[in-house]
Amino acid sequence: MSARQLLAGLATVALMAVFGLVVYSVLGTLQTKTTTTADPTQEQALVALPGTVFLTQNGSIYSLHGLTYTKLATPPGDWYQVAPGPNGDLLAVDKGNGYSDLYLLSQTGQVLRRLLQESSPYYFQNHFVFYPRLSANGQSVFYAYNWIDPAADYNVDFEIQSVPTANPGASPTQWSIPNNYTGGDVSPVPTANGGLIYTSFNVSSSNSSYPYSQLVYLSSPQGNPVYLTTPAQNCSEPSLNPAGNEVAMICVDNRLQSDTLEVATWNGTSLGTPTVLSQGPMAASPTWSPSGNGLLFMNVTSRGNPFQLYWIPKAATSKPGTPQQVTQNLSLNALSAPVWYS
Amino acid sequence: MIRRPQTPLRLAGYTGRHMAAGTKPRRRRAGLSTHRSSHRSSFTWGRHRTLLAFLVVLGFLVSGASGVVAYFLPAVTTAIRVTGQSTLGKGSSNSKLQGVGTPPPPGQPFTVLLLGSDNDTKFVSGAVLTQTMILVRVDPTTHQAVMLSIPRDLWVPIASGGSAKIDSAYELGGAKDAVQTVQSDFNVPVNYWAWIGLGGLVTLVNQLGGVDLIAQMPVLDVQYPYDLTGKNPYANQRIAILPGPQRVDGVNALTYVRSRHGALLEDIARNQKQQELLVDIKDTAKHMNITDIPRIASALGSEVRTNMSLTQVASMAGLARDFSNGAVKELVMLPPDYTTGTEQVGSATEQVLLPNWTAINAVVQQNFPA
Repeated sequence: MSARQLLAGLATVALMAVFGLVVYSVLGTLQTKTTTTADPTQEQALVALPGTVFLTQNGSIYSLHGLTYTKLATPPGDWYQVAPGPNGDLLAVDKGNGYSDLYLLSQTGQVLRRLLQESSPYYFQNHFVFYPRLSANGQSVFYAYNWIDPAADYNVDFEIQSVPTANPGASPTQWSIPNNYTGGDVSPVPTANGGLIYTSFNVSSSNSSYPYSQLVYLSSPQGNPVYLTTPAQNCSEPSLNPAGNEVAMICVDNRLQSDTLEVATWNGTSLGTPTVLSQGPMAASPTWSPSGNGLLFMNVTSRGNPFQLYWIPKAATSKPGTPQQVTQNLSLNALSAPVWYS
Repeated sequence: MIRRPQTPLRLAGYTGRHMAAGTKPRRRRAGLSTHRSSHRSSFTWGRHRTLLAFLVVLGFLVSGASGVVAYFLPAVTTAIRVTGQSTLGKGSSNSKLQGVGTPPPPGQPFTVLLLGSDNDTKFVSGAVLTQTMILVRVDPTTHQAVMLSIPRDLWVPIASGGSAKIDSAYELGGAKDAVQTVQSDFNVPVNYWAWIGLGGLVTLVNQLGGVDLIAQMPVLDVQYPYDLTGKNPYANQRIAILPGPQRVDGVNALTYVRSRHGALLEDIARNQKQQELLVDIKDTAKHMNITDIPRIASALGSEVRTNMSLTQVASMAGLARDFSNGAVKELVMLPPDYTTGTEQVGSATEQVLLPNWTAINAVVQQNFPA
């Protein structure tokens, strides 16, 4: 065998080995790409919305102005559930290990005040507080608070409370009385007339029914609950438009694990027939535009993809519309409704 | 004139290196013997080339196959290590599991018993209770499935003898007893079984990149076990999973389906959430393909056991893609229809659920026909 033939043989064997490695590597590249969450500050939005929108991702708060995101300079924490605060400031929840606190932040993320401190060195004196909402006149802050039944410490459902914005250390006002062992009441929306819309969870004794949620209206603390939706509708996450005459909500089909974004007129005591604005798959956390001409909400392009922000104009027809994707490559917290300041 | 001796081995058309410079190549001489020799030489070289080409192609095929084998090796070794099962279609080769679960004829409906255990650090052996027992019947032709959760506290005759809470069948006799207990009590032939531990579920969901779920209700628990990551497995922690659409990681997915203290229906509510999560995992796993199996198998390690072969698992994963959520029927044994009461009976040290066999048999016969 000549040296040339030997070289050719060796080269062929080397190529074979490389081929094996290439096959191995190619198989690796065929793996499903796990979702990578982009840093919003390195991304641009797909649509320039008027005003400023506040969003949360991975425990941080970001503002979206035009196409650009800016990370708010909050202290380290697990920040989410941002809500409009007094004088254009922000309410936000910082979730700790076994508790959460409520803060008042500036639009740059500076802590102006800790409104509610729910952490405690005593285990059973820790509490969760979520879903902060400012009253229409700005004088009260509403929120869902997990009460602990001293007689049965498994009974820890959320109830809706409020405290004066100027004096959050004052004794809270209990608004709702939750159904025991159901998870309770969440998503308070104070109305202009001093009442409250919220989501109440319940469990049916029916053989075929899942837990369900209903929108409820209270005209006064612990007043008679007026059910705005039926158990079959299974609606939650109410959002009142700026004019105070329409309510957006999320209605879930538990069996299909899908939901719809719906809007109904609100006359102060009852809802009209809802219109489906957007059909699934996982619409969440609707927020009205400052002008009330449409809604921002969270959704996924398909199951398994991260939540992005979508925009949809208020329905002009009875048919569901096609939402416009506003963000891309992010993984937004779907439990945190966006805040939209004009 | 010097005559060069003609080399009989000289090949047709081959001038040779040793030909003197300026010498014209000798023409082939006409004649039978030369022709034969030339033809044989040509034929031999052709055979050599064919053989060489074959060897090269074979080498590449072997090399490529080696790459495939190396890639899927983690999945294969995990499968063998976990249950001693075969990897390519015969199911379990573990003698203890012989006769437990017989693969159905191709294309026919089959039943899987899904088992889940709190195998946290409080337990030192593999003998654990199965807090989760879900019978799943899949019809590959109609693309429909039905899930029936069996309450862990159901007081039934068990395979090892006597009566006990059904969750103890696995603890006493492993998957074999769990399967035989279900087959005997519910009169449902079980083709396959799969067991997963706490860490397994967390790992599985994390390997999927998280799961999108619509939490049915707020899940609050101030006495949720701190046994997965905490130093003291008997310690508690306070947890809160908020309702609505969201993406959850493995720990939060486990928390959602494991917590029961704050739910009116306790274990039954947990059954509902577990079925919901299975549907969510199915939806999320639609994005996966066969090349993901080694990574997931390596990550799961001994946190999953099954009598299914890898090919059967891959086949079922493919099948799951074709199922719409509306085609999956979810059943739980809600009181008071399916259980007649909660009592402390027999040797049980805790309260148990007494089955209403009339109602249970009716729903089983309707949804799990033999």
